[in-house]
Amino acid sequence: MTTLWDTTGSAVVKELAAQRRTGGAVLSGVALTLVVVADESRVAEAEEAATAAAAQHPCRILVVVRRQIDAPVPRLDAEVLIGGRLGPGEAVVMRMYGRLALHAESVVLPLLAADAPVVTWWHAPAPERLQTDALAVIADRRITDSSIAEDHVTALRTRAEDYSPGDTDLAWTRTTPWRAALTSTLDAVSGRRGDAVRLLGGRVEGDPGNASARLLAGWLSSRCGCGLDVVEGPRRPGPSGVDAVVLQLDQDEEVAVRADRRGGAVLTQPYRPDATVALPDRPLGDLLGEELRRLDPDEPYAEALEEATGVRGLSNRAAVREHVWLDPARPDGNGDRDDDAEEPSSPAAPVA
Amino acid sequence: MIVNPLRDPRDRRLPRVPDPCALVVFGITGDLARKKLLPAVYDLANRGLLPTNFALLGFARRDWGDQDFAELAREAARKAARTPWREEVWERLAGSVRFVQGAFDDDDAFDELAAALGDLESSHGIGGNAAFYLSIPPAMFPVVLKQMERTGMAESTAERWRRVVVEKPFGTDLASSRELNELVDSVFSADDVFRIDHYLGKETVQNLMALRFANTLFEPIWNGHHVDSVQITMAEDVGIGGRAGFYEKTGAARDVLQNHLLQLLALTAMEEPVEFSAEEIRTEKLKVLRAISLPDDMATAAIRGQYEPGWLAGQRAHGYRQEEGVDAASTTETYAAVRLGVETRRWAGVPFYLRTGKRLPRRVTEIALVFKRAPHLPFADTDTEELGNNQLVVRVQPDEGVTLKFGSKVPGSVMEVRDVSMDFLYGEQFTEASPEAYERLLLDVLLGDATLFPRNAEVEASWAVIDPLEEFWAGSRPHPYRAGEWGPRAADEMLAADGRRWRRP
Repeated sequence: MTTLWDTTGSAVVKELAAQRRTGGAVLSGVALTLVVVADESRVAEAEEAATAAAAQHPCRILVVVRRQIDAPVPRLDAEVLIGGRLGPGEAVVMRMYGRLALHAESVVLPLLAADAPVVTWWHAPAPERLQTDALAVIADRRITDSSIAEDHVTALRTRAEDYSPGDTDLAWTRTTPWRAALTSTLDAVSGRRGDAVRLLGGRVEGDPGNASARLLAGWLSSRCGCGLDVVEGPRRPGPSGVDAVVLQLDQDEEVAVRADRRGGAVLTQPYRPDATVALPDRPLGDLLGEELRRLDPDEPYAEALEEATGVRGLSNRAAVREHVWLDPARPDGNGDRDDDAEEPSSPAAPVA
Repeated sequence: MIVNPLRDPRDRRLPRVPDPCALVVFGITGDLARKKLLPAVYDLANRGLLPTNFALLGFARRDWGDQDFAELAREAARKAARTPWREEVWERLAGSVRFVQGAFDDDDAFDELAAALGDLESSHGIGGNAAFYLSIPPAMFPVVLKQMERTGMAESTAERWRRVVVEKPFGTDLASSRELNELVDSVFSADDVFRIDHYLGKETVQNLMALRFANTLFEPIWNGHHVDSVQITMAEDVGIGGRAGFYEKTGAARDVLQNHLLQLLALTAMEEPVEFSAEEIRTEKLKVLRAISLPDDMATAAIRGQYEPGWLAGQRAHGYRQEEGVDAASTTETYAAVRLGVETRRWAGVPFYLRTGKRLPRRVTEIALVFKRAPHLPFADTDTEELGNNQLVVRVQPDEGVTLKFGSKVPGSVMEVRDVSMDFLYGEQFTEASPEAYERLLLDVLLGDATLFPRNAEVEASWAVIDPLEEFWAGSRPHPYRAGEWGPRAADEMLAADGRRWRRP
């Protein structure tokens, strides 16, 4: 591991190459580059998760921490690790100060693994419009986490309005075990009947203000073509925001999946004894690992997000984002040319 | 017709989960069950891949209660599980674990087993589905199968499936494997029989098909025009352990060559299947196995060996004849190497060298395609002295991955070319998360997916290759080799006679 203080992007590139030469073949074969955008307070958490995910998918990890955007002098500190704290692969942790933080891509671009997909993950509140962050524009897949926001429901709506194919959200990933349990329960019902099952309605019991609960209800709605709501249940739900799901089926049958608070869930279905399945709250690294398995657009997520927010037409959006320059230091959002003569002005942004 | 509205082919996050079912293991107290099966069941549960209504039923001679069995199973699973241990997952699983005590020839015990399955139907809602895992010596198969037939346990109906899992060895020669197949098929229907060859459950072996059929790069040179020879090696550094009784009757050819090596050969040499389905892949593999030709000169191209005392990894190792339970004049082979041909347009004239052995320097399994040398080299002879054949090596274990070996200029002011290797390493770090072979195969059995299981015709075609070799070897004495060296000299001479040499894996 080497730490470079007050350095430049090219020095980081050089150091990475130097370490690769001297460090020996720690890892060969890289499937993707994972760009992690994290707040200083969440860096440790993000690093741990990225390391766990990298154990499943060989990748280069680039952690970007933006600090003190108002610092007068731009500055870059970087830590270059190969086969160290961040797993067997190559990793660079970069802290960017001052105006440099607005141009993080200038450091990141030369560090991307050649011709491999780029995944950007915000372990921080994501920008309202992802295209204002150049790290989103260079990514093939963008992972946000609405559960980080104060107000999950608004965050989901923002994500829906901003959605492009290739976006995904960890609040959605958290629903996978629930969705798997519900799906296999209906498999069991149709297996017993030897015939199709129709889903007529139901409810998600849990926290209506939780993004995962909303997305789960949205998914069920999109699958059955009927509206399902998140209702406050008798018990306070765990961190997943969901305590139970009850589904009404045709033939007057009902199935339910209820969290048992011990990392499992109880499945109730007609004509069969109750069964329990594992339904653990998964660590962040597992969630991220699941996201990295497939990098194509996630249509079921788009549909669930549509139903959860009422914003339509998500899957018809263009998959490519155009970068929009936004200067947080200016009230109108546009960079002042005197201050920052080199700022590009994107066609989408009005030129002052 | 949409059977389950929540299933969506685009939704690749949701795992395939089997129907409600029971897994019945005969010989649950055995080595395989404890080291592989029970941990695999736990790992499946931990990954959420078991059906919601699932039960595990153990059958063995030992006098145990459900409690004792649950305790043993817990210990076994905990010791060898690959996923992190979570007590709550095990507790849930333990709630659906049953044990039935009895001997295989005991009618009462099997009646009890049938009754226990019936009970599980009402208590665990297994829907009548069951997979029977025969983790028992093949000699016991007839008795157990007859019992299952008698109690009607083996019948699949429209409402329920019943499957049987058979471990190798599938017989000891063509005749006995036919007999065994007929026996199994008379009790279970052919589609319900799953023959486990755990090598086929390995990630790299499945990756071989991705490598060949998903890329444009390799297939054009994957034939006799470009390939000089193929070497398939499965080496073990261990001896026979405590399995003398089994090994004395079996030997390396029957133990490894007949199944693992010939399956690897089939996957390497087969044509592209029409689609990636069980039936199509098996069809292509069968074509290759039937096209295998044996060497005319067996004396030089079918070598077997037996290890003698030596040093391995810094420790003194016994010779095979000194192992406990082995006849001091034993002629059982612990090493076998053979040159086979595959008589198809793609492979005519390309020798396939297969070798396997115990007490070799290291444990390694790999498939190496050795390419022909460039027809013309524009360099001076001295420039390319160190240049060998290009090679493409699929490393099955350990260090799963792919190596490409090619010539490259030695940096410096003179033109000199030598071999370098380029590695793609799906190292331990990355395969830890991928399921263990038994886990994958067990799941496939419960799902009814037979892609990774050889069918009986393949087994019989493999024996048709092995039988003439065994016949030729019968009565002869294997070539001796020292424990800790790469096999007998005769095996090296076999390649040297063809102007080739073994790759050191």
